[in-house]
Amino acid sequence: MENITFRIRRYDGTNTWVQEYRLPYEKGKTILWALTKIKDEIDPTLNFTSACRHAICGSCGVKVNGHAFLACKTSLDKLLETFDTSVLYFEPLGNYDVVRDLVVDWKPKMEKMKKIKPWLLPSREGSIEEGFRQSKQQFAKISSSTDCILCGICASECGQLAINDGGYLEPFIINKAYRFAVDSRDNAPEEHIRPVLENELWKCIHCMQCVSKCPKEIPLTDEIAYLRKETMKMGEVHNQGARHAYAFYHDVKKWGRLNEMTLPIKTDGMVTTLRKRIPFAYRMIVKGKINPLRLPKAVKGIKGVRKIYQQVEEESKS
Amino acid sequence: MLKYDVIVVGAGGAGMMAALYASKDKNLRVACLSKIFPTRSHTGAAQGGINAAMGYRDATDSPEKHFRDTVKGSDFLADQDAVEFFTANMPAIISELDYYGVPFSRDPNGRIAQRPFGGASSPRTCYSADKTGHVILHALYEQCLKNNVEFLDEWFLLSLVVADETFHGLVAMNIKTGEIHPFLAKAVVIATGGFGRIYWNRTTNAINMTGDGTAACFNAGIPLKDPEFVQFHPTGLASTGILLSEACRGEGGYLINREGERFMKRYAPEKMELAPRDLVSRSIEMEIKAGRGFGQGLEAYVLMDLRHLGKEKIMERLPQVRELAMDFEGVDLIDEPVPIRPSCHYMMGGIHVSDYTTLATPVEGIHAAGECACVSIHGANRLGGNSVADVVLFGKYAGIGARESARKRPFGLETLVIKEAKKWESKFATMRNKTSGIRLVDIRNKMAEVMWNYVGIFRHEQEMRVALETIDQLLNDYEHAYIGDPALRYNTAFVHYVEIGNLLTLAKAVVLGAINRKESRGSHARADYPQRDDENFLKHTLIYKRGDRYELKYLPVKITKYPPEERKY
Repeated sequence: MENITFRIRRYDGTNTWVQEYRLPYEKGKTILWALTKIKDEIDPTLNFTSACRHAICGSCGVKVNGHAFLACKTSLDKLLETFDTSVLYFEPLGNYDVVRDLVVDWKPKMEKMKKIKPWLLPSREGSIEEGFRQSKQQFAKISSSTDCILCGICASECGQLAINDGGYLEPFIINKAYRFAVDSRDNAPEEHIRPVLENELWKCIHCMQCVSKCPKEIPLTDEIAYLRKETMKMGEVHNQGARHAYAFYHDVKKWGRLNEMTLPIKTDGMVTTLRKRIPFAYRMIVKGKINPLRLPKAVKGIKGVRKIYQQVEEESKS
Repeated sequence: MLKYDVIVVGAGGAGMMAALYASKDKNLRVACLSKIFPTRSHTGAAQGGINAAMGYRDATDSPEKHFRDTVKGSDFLADQDAVEFFTANMPAIISELDYYGVPFSRDPNGRIAQRPFGGASSPRTCYSADKTGHVILHALYEQCLKNNVEFLDEWFLLSLVVADETFHGLVAMNIKTGEIHPFLAKAVVIATGGFGRIYWNRTTNAINMTGDGTAACFNAGIPLKDPEFVQFHPTGLASTGILLSEACRGEGGYLINREGERFMKRYAPEKMELAPRDLVSRSIEMEIKAGRGFGQGLEAYVLMDLRHLGKEKIMERLPQVRELAMDFEGVDLIDEPVPIRPSCHYMMGGIHVSDYTTLATPVEGIHAAGECACVSIHGANRLGGNSVADVVLFGKYAGIGARESARKRPFGLETLVIKEAKKWESKFATMRNKTSGIRLVDIRNKMAEVMWNYVGIFRHEQEMRVALETIDQLLNDYEHAYIGDPALRYNTAFVHYVEIGNLLTLAKAVVLGAINRKESRGSHARADYPQRDDENFLKHTLIYKRGDRYELKYLPVKITKYPPEERKY
């Protein structure tokens, strides 16, 4: 390959257009190298942000061929191989307001972050003069979540944010809530968790994009599962998400499979189901997705399933 | 008119600590202004740790020992009263950071873990794995959010308004809109970091470390102290300057030249690669100068070879280093050696601070902290683990100092700041309309080349004279530069233009300080004056800028306890 073509989505505050640049191929270079070279040598009007150049400041998140990457640490060779093309299409991160070209606005995200009280609410065991005692195990609990560099890649890739009308929290905000909720030095985990619940915690659609694209490999969906569990322990069991989870839990325990007929009733209640789900259910029946006449029967290996339940319950007690 | 009691410029460790402390007085309106989003600040890049004599790992450690190590490390150029204040107050700062939620690594007793570092006589470096600066930066941002500090993100400081040695306010640009605003303020804290970018790519510094606050103070009549002291780290990755940890050599990595020879045997036959940083840096440059490196000019490099350690050991001990080499140099250390070259790392010099308890500068109302400032506690050479310590501790006292300044000072004159803003507006308009001239990138690259070649690790009068002439020529060229972007909104080409002006202004001070210091001390190695000369140069350089003229003065070093002696390890 002699040249790489960079098609970059430009924006000047009013107009959007796509501009094409070409650079001779060089082995072992990064996305950021290319952007910098274009700005230095071809077009000084191109704008993007970067700072540390080694994946710790989080400035340079950008979308290439539809996927978000940290520009400084992503090699062009890898992209060319993955997408099997010499044409790369650049866009700003998704789910952000764009300021200019590839530059996005972080301010609204930080305003949103304040909802979860993103700071330590110190317990009485410590003081500003003496600090805290914290065991190695307790430190290990916050180690991975404090790797977050606020690069915004998780938010760009998030399936729920893409369809949400603004209520759902960005994965990095959820991570921040988790980070304080599990810190042994924090006195009030509920104050971080409750706002996450109230901001559509149960709407995560498990697309796993945040986990697979995070440059720091933070297990965001595990954190979401933890937060959900904690809200149920807090007694928040009557919301749609919790009821849905319980319906799964009980159905599988009872029959080894879901009962598609009763799931909406258990999740949304009878009234809502009758009001909203009847046409949907009708379409499901027509397509053969559910059969209202079939009574559920336990699966063949149901004893094994129940054994798993038992084991998990015992383990979570110890 | 934008009016604040205290404006903190810079949102790294020093700036956010200052903003946090200034905002503890609820009667004061405090803003923290930064040209980038706060958590992008370079404090986040600090890996190793933060020094404080907690005595957790070694009960014999004490602030007194930390004091002595720092003075010795500084090659006796640090002010000892300031160092004593610094080391005595550090343990309290660590507890405070713990209280703010910084996730420190822990020892088996649940106390903050400590590890040994170069130049320290006890293991006193507190850390959080290898992300110490990152977690401190984020914790301070969280605390500022909690305290309702008003953040002006992506605002760019253009100049400080000082008339008759009185501070009136400042002028800054809202980068997102392109609007230029005058600000009135009773006090300001400058915390804008170092200016390693005078060497452009040959630095471990972030792309935006351009000394904007330092240049603004310098232009406003505040002297620079000891700008000639520039620290180099031996193992930066060749093509980007990104830091590759000293652990590579610690684990037994070889440095080899083009002939495949372990050249350190020529310079330090016993210690080899484990010789001190400055010596290793100088050795690598000697090889390159002798034509035994790879590549040419600024692109030249030598190799660090770790292959003999074997895959298992590399994966176990140096997995992140391997990742850095793969991501940024395209090299897998298991199969290939990695190109490295010394890289500019830290500025010991900076804005002259005249009171280490308030971080006040000679202009009342202007305070400075962090790498941009020279207190001086690092003297001619900074010890590892002392820079993050410096930013949080002096950031705190700068915040307190600025709070006191704001309480006793009135607002300045609106007319003066408006006039200064108008000047910048017209400059911005002129630069946007210009369609031809000298390319900014060419000026920048020439500056980096001449600074690296002639005012880098080795210095010689004749070469530095050439550098001085070149910088003067570039300052002249700068008047004819064009930026190539007519837009108002998010015009990074214009921001870069101002940054390059700042770098040129500061580079000239570095050269002048270096030419006039006719001795070798700490990081300042003169080929023509290889010895330390206490008789003539046990003193701080002060450089003043009066219009285009630079004036040199000197200031005695404060020696309270440790008389200078030969530095041996």
